Amino acid sequence: MSEDAPVPFKDADALIKEIDAAAKADPPPAAPDRDAAPPAPEVTVVAAGGEAPAPAAAPSGRPAIVEFKHVTKTYGDGPKAFTAIKDVHFRIEDIPGKGEFICVLGPSGCGKSTVLRLIAGLGPQHPPTTGEVLVDGRPVVGPGADRGMVFQDYTSFDHMTVEDNVAFGLACRGVGKAERIGQAHGWIDKVGLSVKNDARKYPHQLSGGMRQRVAIARTLILSPRIILMDEPFGALDPSTRMQMQDNLVALWRDLEATVFFVTHSIEEAVYLGDRVHILSSSPGTLLREITVPPPDRPAHAMQRDPRFLEYVFDIRDTIETLEASRRAGDD
Amino acid sequence: MSDGGQAPGVGGGPPGDSWTKRLFRLREEPPYYVRILLGVSSVGLLLLVWGGMTSGDIPEHRAISPAVLPSLGETAQSLPRLFGERGLIASIAASLTRVFLGFGLACVIGIPFGMLAGAWRPLNAFVTPLVIFGRNIPIAALIPLTLMWFGIDETQKVMFLFIATVPFVFSSAASAVVAIHQRYVETAQTLGASSWQVFRKVLAPLALPQVFTDQRQLFGLAFGYIMLAELVNAKRGLGFLIQMSQKRSQPEDILMILVIIGLLAWLIDKTLSWFQRGLFPYRRDL
Ligand SMILES: Nc1ncnc2c1ncn2[C@@H]1O[C@H](COP(=O)(O)OP(=O)(O)O)[C@@H](O)[C@H]1O
Ligand SMILES: [Mg+2]
Repeated sequence: MSEDAPVPFKDADALIKEIDAAAKADPPPAAPDRDAAPPAPEVTVVAAGGEAPAPAAAPSGRPAIVEFKHVTKTYGDGPKAFTAIKDVHFRIEDIPGKGEFICVLGPSGCGKSTVLRLIAGLGPQHPPTTGEVLVDGRPVVGPGADRGMVFQDYTSFDHMTVEDNVAFGLACRGVGKAERIGQAHGWIDKVGLSVKNDARKYPHQLSGGMRQRVAIARTLILSPRIILMDEPFGALDPSTRMQMQDNLVALWRDLEATVFFVTHSIEEAVYLGDRVHILSSSPGTLLREITVPPPDRPAHAMQRDPRFLEYVFDIRDTIETLEASRRAGDD
Repeated sequence: MSDGGQAPGVGGGPPGDSWTKRLFRLREEPPYYVRILLGVSSVGLLLLVWGGMTSGDIPEHRAISPAVLPSLGETAQSLPRLFGERGLIASIAASLTRVFLGFGLACVIGIPFGMLAGAWRPLNAFVTPLVIFGRNIPIAALIPLTLMWFGIDETQKVMFLFIATVPFVFSSAASAVVAIHQRYVETAQTLGASSWQVFRKVLAPLALPQVFTDQRQLFGLAFGYIMLAELVNAKRGLGFLIQMSQKRSQPEDILMILVIIGLLAWLIDKTLSWFQRGLFPYRRDL
């Protein structure tokens, strides 16, 4: 434990400067001052429902990888109608050679899963009641392997060994047995499992963390353009969770995929994300998009860095302020 | 079995408890030998009561007359006669063949259709009225009906069993698929599986262990039904044998046949359960 003291990462400052520059020269937030009037967060802010500013890196006419156009989802009708998300509007650019890591934060029941499932094309969230969900410029019509999804629970096919679980998508594509098991072994290794010990096990022989590793490998093996993760680490203990975060960061660097990662841990969102989308409580609307520094160190080191914690506190304050003003506005 | 002086755990959990306490612990399975012992003692108790009620040198001294309930000894003595002149083996073979054919046919047709109906609910909605009807047909009415439709031979017995059990087989298979969590389907779909692939690679295999368990139970039902069919117009079979024993006023034969049926059913269930564990290694709870 003693070696966990906040050893400053060699190039941390340089890195953060670079990142800040990349993030349109946003300075890191000042230490939050709880007594002062809530400062407007000094980060890229997009007002919900408002016109999104012209995308910074708008590449020549490329359609956005994901775009929500004033999306509202209402379940049921008549007096029982319930609006889960309301007028959610955002655009994630398709930056060539690099995907973005978007974390979706919000209180439970605010519609985070709804947003993810709309992108995935899974019912009953799909289709939206009004508005449009576009992936790569085309409306989502149903689920597909281009949008991989990792859930929190019921994640493994219990009747298949680990290697068959990981190779599932390839099998559906008709890839031959030897070829797909070979690839599966590569991914079992990449997600930190042992090919020798774990590949032939059944899911009931694995811990919760190992099952999530299987689920991640099974999704990534198909190299989806978009990876949707719905609180994938929500049921894990803190230290397993950090290991999984590190593993995910390492894997994602080679992937060039856009990730949507739902969590209600602010730390997790700030650590993993390039950007954090904050949803309001029900009916969910997109309150803010905040750019955060991407992970440059292992989770346990970075998540105790004062600079990191400033981001966390700042976002916490932002959420409180936004919720308070929203409630005030409702009355 | 003693406390060994260990401090009792908080809430009476850990194994330091006395064995009496352990017997009353919620949902805890006793050790293998305790289970065997408990099982044997229930049978022993039954035999004891039976023996007590039928003891006495002359019939008038017995609590229950031998015409109603023969003694243990008298029942045991029926064994050579049953195996000998009464052809018990042939009857067992006849009954089992009918069950395997009739119930087997019900499984071959009911399981695939039931599983498909569990996955494609319109099919389920289409068949449901027939299934509800089929499950509630008075079994006694099916016997004369099948006699008129299929004659008095083996076909009638097999078809009777088929008609009587296929609605149960179908609905158990359908519910097993319906019970599979939707998350599995969604996971498979986001991995690019087509509907048919989801069914074949995910829904069906995940439901099969439950389907198998249900059929094990339904086999008992089928085994009971066949004896009913054998009461009418049969020349062999356990039901026929029981009925003849009644006509001959030999209750000890009936009792012995019941014991043998019980043993047979137990043996078959054990065999099926052994197969089940081999077939579904991923279900440690079976
Ligand atoms: N099929 C449904 N029918 C009715 N209400 C639903 C349905 N699915 C979700 N909801 C409601 O929509 C809201 C948002 O759900 P969800 O997106 O799952 O929230 P989150 O993932 O943020 O916890 C919740 O209040 C939930 O009760
Ligand atoms: Mg959710």
